[in-house]
Order: sequence, then C-alpha cells, then structure tokens
Amino acid sequence: MEELFEDIERLAHAEKRVAMATLVATRGTSPKREGAKMWVGEEGRILGSVTIGGCVDARVIAESEQALSSFESRLVEMKLGNEDAWEIGFSCAGDLDVFIEPVDLTRSDNVFELYRAIRKTVDQGKRAVLATSLKDSSRKLLIIEGGEIAGSLGTSVLDREAQAIGLELMKKGVSSTVSLGPDSAPVFFETHGPPPTLIVFGASHVAMPLVSLAHDLGLKTIVVDGRPRFATRERFPDVDELLIGIPSEIAETLAYTSSTFVVLTAHDYKYDLPVLKVVLPARPAYVGLLGSKRRGAAIKEFLGDGGMDQSLLDQLHVPTGLDIGAGTAAEIALSILAETVALKYAK
Amino acid sequence: MPALYSDILLDHFRHPRNYGSLDAPDISNEQLNPLCGDRIRLELKFEESRVSAARFKGDGCAISTAAASMLTELVLGEDIEELANISDARLISALESNIQPARLQCALLPLHALREGLKGWTGLQD
Repeated sequence: MEELFEDIERLAHAEKRVAMATLVATRGTSPKREGAKMWVGEEGRILGSVTIGGCVDARVIAESEQALSSFESRLVEMKLGNEDAWEIGFSCAGDLDVFIEPVDLTRSDNVFELYRAIRKTVDQGKRAVLATSLKDSSRKLLIIEGGEIAGSLGTSVLDREAQAIGLELMKKGVSSTVSLGPDSAPVFFETHGPPPTLIVFGASHVAMPLVSLAHDLGLKTIVVDGRPRFATRERFPDVDELLIGIPSEIAETLAYTSSTFVVLTAHDYKYDLPVLKVVLPARPAYVGLLGSKRRGAAIKEFLGDGGMDQSLLDQLHVPTGLDIGAGTAAEIALSILAETVALKYAK
Repeated sequence: MPALYSDILLDHFRHPRNYGSLDAPDISNEQLNPLCGDRIRLELKFEESRVSAARFKGDGCAISTAAASMLTELVLGEDIEELANISDARLISALESNIQPARLQCALLPLHALREGLKGWTGLQD
C-alpha cells in the first residue's frame, strides 16, 4: 500500500487542518521524484518528505505553516541545499518546485475523499491520475484507467487535453507538471497505481531473502512452486501469496503489467522452460533467470528451437541481477532487486 | 546398454504428445515428486469402455515429461480393464533409456497418476 494512503488515514484521525506539500517539478539532480509528499498538520504533525531531509524540508514546513495561516495554496521554488552548501559544493545541485495546498479536514469534500477514491481504484488493480491546476488548486480532474473522469479543471477543452495527457503518463507510471490550454496553465499530474509485483518461480533458498527484501521495498510478492514442502509460510513469512501447483499452469493465471517483475529461482529446467514459455510472451517489466551465462544460452537456444521469437528471448536477464560479486543467497537477492530498481528508474 | 537418454525420450520431451487438458475428463489425477518438484496431471476420457482421449499437463524433467507423453499414447484405445495392467516395466521399456534407480520415480510418476486416477473412478456414467 502506498505510504500516501496510510498517511492520509493517520492525519484524518488526528488533525483538523493540514498542509499537503507536493513535489511538482525538479530540475537537475533531486533525491525524490515528482509526486513526493510531505504533510504538515496544524497540531504540528509532520509526515513524509519532498527531499531526504535537510534545510529544504525545513523550508517546506515553514511555508506550509504560512499556507495554513492564510489558507491559500502556494507554489514554492527552491534550490536543493542552502547557500553554504552551494558555496562549498555539498549541494545536490538541483532546483525543485513544491506546491502547498491547505486542506480542511472538517469539510466532507476535502481532497482526502479524492485520495480515498484513488485508493479504491488502486485496490482494484487499476491506475489513476489526479490532475491539479497549480493556478487554482480547487480545480482537479481525476482520470481513471480506461478513461473515466471525475471533477474538472475548469473547461471541457482543458479536461479533454488533461485526460489524454493523464492516460499517457499513466502508461509510463510517472508524475509530471504539464502546461495546458491557450494560456499554458501549469497542471500537476499525479500518477497512482497498484504496487509493483514480484513473482518468484521456485521457492528456493535464494527466493527467501528475495521475497523479504522485496517486501521491505514495498513490492507485492508472489511465490510459485510445485512443492508444498518448500513453499511454506515458515520459509516465506513476508510473502503476499503462496501458490502451489503446476508452475507453468499457475503462470498462465497471473497478470503481467509494466510493473510486474518476474524472477525464476528454481535453477531447474523443469520449471524454467515451461514458465518462460508463458512469461516471456506476456512481456512483464522484467524477467530474470538464476544461472550462469552458459546455462542461460542453453535455455535460450532450447526456447528458440521451439519457435520462440528472438525479441522475446532478448528480454530475459540471465544471469539475473547486477554484477556486484554476490555470493550468498541474500547478496544474490540484493543484486536482483538492485537490477529491478535500476530498470524501474531507467538507469 | 541403452543410451542414457534415447532419441525417442528426447523427442517426447521436446515435442510432448497429447499435452493439455480435456473438457470434463472421466479421470483426472495429479502426482508430485515432493522433493524434486515434478508435477504431472493425467486426464482420460472413456467411450464404450475404451480410452477415447488422453492428455497430460505438468512441469517435469525430461524423463517424467517423456514418460507422461508416451503413456498418453500407450493408453489411447485401451480397454479400461487393461489400464491397471500397464506395468512399470512396459513404460520404462518404451523410454528405451538407461533409467537409473534414483530416477525411476520420475519415469513412473505418470503411471502413478493413472493408477490413482483409476482408484477414484466410479464407472461410466449413462
């Protein structure tokens, strides 16, 4: 579950008015991406961050308190790092824009209700984009995967333009500020979607730390194996789903999206070959296979001889994981997740 | 001494016959090698006391996959009464390979599915 939804419910029970600070644009290097949020409550509670701490967050807190006093939204442009840091070269050397909206939680039509609607959409496995006018934050348009919309940015022309952009950003899974309409009005598109999912075929000893680390990274995790003695809750205490049966048959029942990562850790051709026949054509975000280059080449050759297209075989990451010299199961798991994180952020 | 893996075994592994599922099979039984993980499901349909269709599905090693593929060919057209008489030796012989004792469980996994499936079968329905 996104941290945002958890923060909202915590604040809803504890505060009457909060400032919602959202990172809406970055230039140069920035530790966080557009969409990062920080909450400043009237009672003093602080949740989240738009950077990774330091003086920028401190300034956001001060600006948020002023926004709560005036109860007016504001766009704040900031440099990462204070003047001292700039002078001696310790800054991250980026600029960022933070949009701060005061929210009255005593009103039933506050923005939290929109986020609850987004949460419901995400829980159903769909994506949603919330478009907010940075000139008038009361103008918001919610765009649901499939094209359904709610709310408005002010005119039907703007709404149509925003809907098209929102659906495009939804596909990429990114948030961004875009200028819309004849007046080039800045609108922030905030993208939300189901958590990325890691599907592991093979309840092996490498799969165990892989699932635990993935859980800590916020991924939904699924482990598939034919052997009930291996695929146990005791071995996988953090796993979301344990599926036991014919692995390739189970593979046919799972959903593969642009945020699905698949790793085959059985190190056994009896599972690897039939599962890859199902998974590679489904084109998830990542397919990794445990094994050496030599083993990988043999597996690819077998699948190629069976008629699998070279473009699909090229999607297979084997050996799976970044080459960090990993030796233990936990280190291998770390290298695999590092590769998926790098892929997620196109590094 | 037969080859470790015969051409016929490798051919059935690479190109399994009767792979898939049946609609409303009369017999469906799935067996597992609990440690190495082979899982084979065998399905049969009967017509007038004979096997009219046989399918198998599963993820298994070369031996268990080939054995399942061959078994579906062996049983096709057989009288139901004869199915229980298919011996271990007949299936292993069909593989034409030097199956080591440790791998017998792989070769016989589909046969176990057949035998267990027959146990649960209550006869042809009108």
